[in-house]
Amino acid sequence: MNDLNIPGSQSTPQINSDGSQGLLTMQGDSYPENSFEFFGPVIAWIETYLRDSQAPLRLELRLVYMNTSSVKAMMDIFDLLEEAHGRGRQVSVDWFYDPRNERVLDLADEFREDCTFPFLIAPDSPFK
Amino acid sequence: MNMPLLAPSEQELLRQVETLLAQERYQEHPLRDALARLFEYSEGQRERLERLIKISDGYHSISRSHSQTLAEQYDRQLRRLEKLARISDRYQNSLRELSEALKDAALRDPLTGLGNRRFLMERIKEETERANRKQAAYSLGILDVDHFKAINDQFGHETGDKVLCEIGLAIQDALREYDLCGRWGGEEFLIMLPETPVEFARQVAERVCQGIKEVRVALHQEGCTPPISASLGLTQYRFGESFSEALNRADTALLQAKAAGRDRLEVA
Repeated sequence: MNDLNIPGSQSTPQINSDGSQGLLTMQGDSYPENSFEFFGPVIAWIETYLRDSQAPLRLELRLVYMNTSSVKAMMDIFDLLEEAHGRGRQVSVDWFYDPRNERVLDLADEFREDCTFPFLIAPDSPFK
Repeated sequence: MNMPLLAPSEQELLRQVETLLAQERYQEHPLRDALARLFEYSEGQRERLERLIKISDGYHSISRSHSQTLAEQYDRQLRRLEKLARISDRYQNSLRELSEALKDAALRDPLTGLGNRRFLMERIKEETERANRKQAAYSLGILDVDHFKAINDQFGHETGDKVLCEIGLAIQDALREYDLCGRWGGEEFLIMLPETPVEFARQVAERVCQGIKEVRVALHQEGCTPPISASLGLTQYRFGESFSEALNRADTALLQAKAAGRDRLEVA
């Protein structure tokens, strides 16, 4: 399975996946011109991983600003996780935010609303 | 015989006919053959009818569950859409607040909290238009803290910054509510007095200078700084001229005040 190594840019988050660890990380701002195109490979990676492996999947997020279509893409991703969780798969999300920007906490909380899988929202350690 | 859809009286009739047909003594009866065929025909029709009902019920239930699924899907999509809008609105709000904060930061001097040069320029432009429209001139003053470099050199930048903040407060205190002040640059401040002839402006400006001299006392008590004073150049806007002409005149007056020994006010 091919891992994702998408470098970040001013308008797109950095995205890395590690299938062997069952880890997907995304960090930065997200307002790509074409969110569907941008998040397509990410959604495909998650679908493939959930289909081909039985191991747990953890998402580590440090997302700051998102445009509406990125918000939609994230909701689709969380739906995938929710579905897998319903089938008994071990999935989780850890969303870290800059403690100087508490607004992200509220936003992450909105995302978490309908999710029944483990969804942690925590301030990022300043020493990271 | 399975007849779940028939009423008891109908079931009884069918059983009766069946029993009659089975009886030995009617085997040769002239009507028996016709009755047997009629019975068979009726049974065939009944089965067809039952099959028809079953199929029709099946379709009905399929379409019912289909429309239920659609309604559920619709509700789900609606909830998703509402959530999307909610999250998106939040992002938009935080961006708006950020842009307001940036705008504020762009117009404010971070040290003294007063308006910065950009802010002052905007306001002077506005006030110039208003002065011409209403034929009511404003007065403009530029003031420079005397020997500020010496304060910085002798007591350090921290004390220098503190002096500037105190001076900012003193100027604000001395001005009237509708007057305007800001940090023009380094140790220069600008005051603008809307709809004020220079004779009146002079009184306010003298109060400003006096206020600045009192800053010295407050700081001196902490054993920090030498006497503080300022030189001030004041002018009145002349109708029709550009605001930069008024600014230049105030600047020239300030230079005169400095040349004449500082700690004074010159009007041009």
